[in-house]
Amino acid sequence: MKGNGEGKEGKQIFSFTRFFLFIPIIFVTGSILISSCTKKYEFTMGQDFFDSQTRLQVIDTFSVNLSTVLLDSVKTSATMIGLAGGYRDDIFGSVECEAYFDLRYQDFEEIEEKAIYDSAAFMLKYTGYSYGDTTSLLKLNLHMLTEKIEPYAGYLYSTSSFDFSPEVTGSVSFYPAPNSSDTAVYLPVNALGEELFNKIRDKDEDLSSSDLFSEYLKGFLITSGSQDNNSVIAFTADNDNLKLIIYYHLDNEEPEKKEITISMGQENHQFNAVKYDFTNTLLEDIKTEGNILPSIRTNNYGYLQGLVGLIPKMQFPTLNEILAVQRWKILKAELVFRPVSGSYELSGLPEKLLIYDTDRENNINSALQDEKGNSLMATLDYVDINEEEKQYTYDITGFINNELSDAYFDYYHGLMPGLDQEKFTSSLDRLLIEGKNPPVKLRIYFLTY
Amino acid sequence: MPRLLKTSVLILSLLASVAGIISAQSTSSPYSIFGIGILESKSIGPSKGMGGTGIAFMSDLSVNSMNPASYSGIDSLLTIFEVGIFGKYSSFSTVHDEQSTVNANLKYVLMGFRINPWLATSFGFSPVSSIGYNINATAPVEGTPQEYLETFSGTGGVNQLYAGASIKLLKNLSIGVNSAYLFGNITRMESSATFDYSYKDVTYVSNFDFDYGLNYQINIKKWKYNIGIIYSRSKDLRTKNTTTITTPTGTETLKEYTYDYSIPQNIGAGIAVRNGFFRAGVDFERSDWENIEFTNVYFQTRNSSRYSFGTEFPLPGSRKGTGKMIFLRFGGEYRQSYLLVDNTPIDGGTLTFGTGLPLKGTLNAINVALELGQIGTTKRGLIRENYIGVHLDMSLRDLWFRKRMYE
Repeated sequence: MKGNGEGKEGKQIFSFTRFFLFIPIIFVTGSILISSCTKKYEFTMGQDFFDSQTRLQVIDTFSVNLSTVLLDSVKTSATMIGLAGGYRDDIFGSVECEAYFDLRYQDFEEIEEKAIYDSAAFMLKYTGYSYGDTTSLLKLNLHMLTEKIEPYAGYLYSTSSFDFSPEVTGSVSFYPAPNSSDTAVYLPVNALGEELFNKIRDKDEDLSSSDLFSEYLKGFLITSGSQDNNSVIAFTADNDNLKLIIYYHLDNEEPEKKEITISMGQENHQFNAVKYDFTNTLLEDIKTEGNILPSIRTNNYGYLQGLVGLIPKMQFPTLNEILAVQRWKILKAELVFRPVSGSYELSGLPEKLLIYDTDRENNINSALQDEKGNSLMATLDYVDINEEEKQYTYDITGFINNELSDAYFDYYHGLMPGLDQEKFTSSLDRLLIEGKNPPVKLRIYFLTY
Repeated sequence: MPRLLKTSVLILSLLASVAGIISAQSTSSPYSIFGIGILESKSIGPSKGMGGTGIAFMSDLSVNSMNPASYSGIDSLLTIFEVGIFGKYSSFSTVHDEQSTVNANLKYVLMGFRINPWLATSFGFSPVSSIGYNINATAPVEGTPQEYLETFSGTGGVNQLYAGASIKLLKNLSIGVNSAYLFGNITRMESSATFDYSYKDVTYVSNFDFDYGLNYQINIKKWKYNIGIIYSRSKDLRTKNTTTITTPTGTETLKEYTYDYSIPQNIGAGIAVRNGFFRAGVDFERSDWENIEFTNVYFQTRNSSRYSFGTEFPLPGSRKGTGKMIFLRFGGEYRQSYLLVDNTPIDGGTLTFGTGLPLKGTLNAINVALELGQIGTTKRGLIRENYIGVHLDMSLRDLWFRKRMYE
């Protein structure tokens, strides 16, 4: 039997085996057909056919309670910034800053026979920061401490103080020009310098060890030297820049000028004490009222000031009402407020404004973060075309959604706009928040569906 | 391994890669917003060049799934495998505006063969409807003077996987049935990039569907006259909806909505005439959409009609009856829409020109059809689509499921 070609005996019959082989091909092709339907084309026409299932509205009628909290103290040690001076105005009252520090012991080199003492001064190198009116005369006094600086659990605070001698060891009056950071002011301490010079030359026992040195020179305090002071200046308070310099010369034919430098001591012994007085301001009663005053008591203002420890608190008493609505999402939540008009001409506005969450005890807890995990910052924009009024805006969507996620909003869980850590602990930067005209607004982009 | 298998696997993988590259959807039309989307033509292969006409045509060298009774016409020795792809350039215009889109897609894959002298079968995959739009709209931010960009998009559609059979009752009378499994999804989404949300409503639809057909042939001298009738019942689709809202805080599944989607009762009739390699036909079809309930407030439905005609003849001068014979085709179609948008019909008409080209040395052929058409109107602020479409149909034929038996 030969099976070539169209054999006459050949008969075509249906082969199920071949048929079943084919089925996978059908399925593969079919799935390509379905999966290939992916690309989209954009039209702008056709939108009239839609009945949108979603509705986006902005609600800014949730009330925001504004109050001002006064913190017990602010941690000020080891900021490497010394602040000294005083300032007063009718809004924030008076404030004085006092800079504490001590000196580092060293093995003093032998002073030559022909050495003759000239003078001595503390070098205070400007950081560039100042508060108040730096065009008026500033007087600073230096006192010697009569007790050693001892940090409490490693830290020192704006309220910390150590005993000092009432005698003024050195004093300087000057017109501060702190905007040029490479200039310095020299606070003369000639008598102290001579005493030290002699002790070094005589190899006095007081200078023979670190312990005896710190018993002899316990520390220093730079205070505001006058009631008329009208500014606070900042100087760099670290081992390299804050120093006592003793000038002397060698009595040769050609006098040779020489100096001895004693640097600032331990970093965590450096701190600033802050004294404030709210008498005759709207904040006068804040201490007797439990360190918090609602804005209705303070002309609808909220107060913020770094080292003084004034911080505004914002609470959302009616936000719980949102939970009564069915089927919604908050797409965006903004906290918007303005500085009081005309309140920042002299001191300016804080550039970086963070926001912290707080609780029933008015503690400053963690700073809110943005999606990238950085501290959430307010943007500062002009409100009007004439660029007269400015406003701060925070995107607090994450905070609000997180707070509402358990279907309950804790009224006591408020927010506190505040300076960043550095400015908070080493500046008097301030902000006066308008609480009524216009009020602080919680602006919610509310999607219902 | 038969040569056909090699060729078809080759062609299939080619098609798959082409489809992957263009990765396009079969429809992009704002009118696909409504109902189950834009209804796909049921015509296959050569019918595409004849205005979609096919109700009375018997399957011979191509499978005609429009009428299941036609499978009886499949040549007794052949297994026919058909793949169709369709590319379309559309220009959408309103009174004020004009936009164009291009899309292409693998359209259908099916096969047909005869099991014995009285029983023939076909099965395959083809779309029933498709949805594709992405419409940018502006929406108000209530409580402010602002507006924001909201995008409405739709994807999906209904597909069918069918298996059909045709029985030759008498010498001139065939009947047939296609049983199909309809499945797919209707996905609608509203989203905004500005506010980072999306509201997505997905309705999965499925059901079994049957359509019936009859074909009767009268022979008068050299002329063969065929009458075809098709019928399918109205069918509700089973639906399962999932609606979700997604924001940066997560995705939430909302209440499941209930939507009703239905396929209407459909009846069609056609007459065809054949003499040698010449054939021509006319179709009429009517779908009872009026009884189908829709929830969309922007449109109403009415009973839709389809009229078409088409003819096929050998290229004058080409060698008739040989493997080198080239067919020319011509036809036209008019569709009265089931949609009335704002009381305005979205009717459409097309002219088609086609050709059937043999592939050298094989039984295979390529059918190419050019389609020029228009749908809708710019009246009453509506949208008119003008389009040029190209159908490419591979008709692969071989003695594939046959084996020779020797006695």
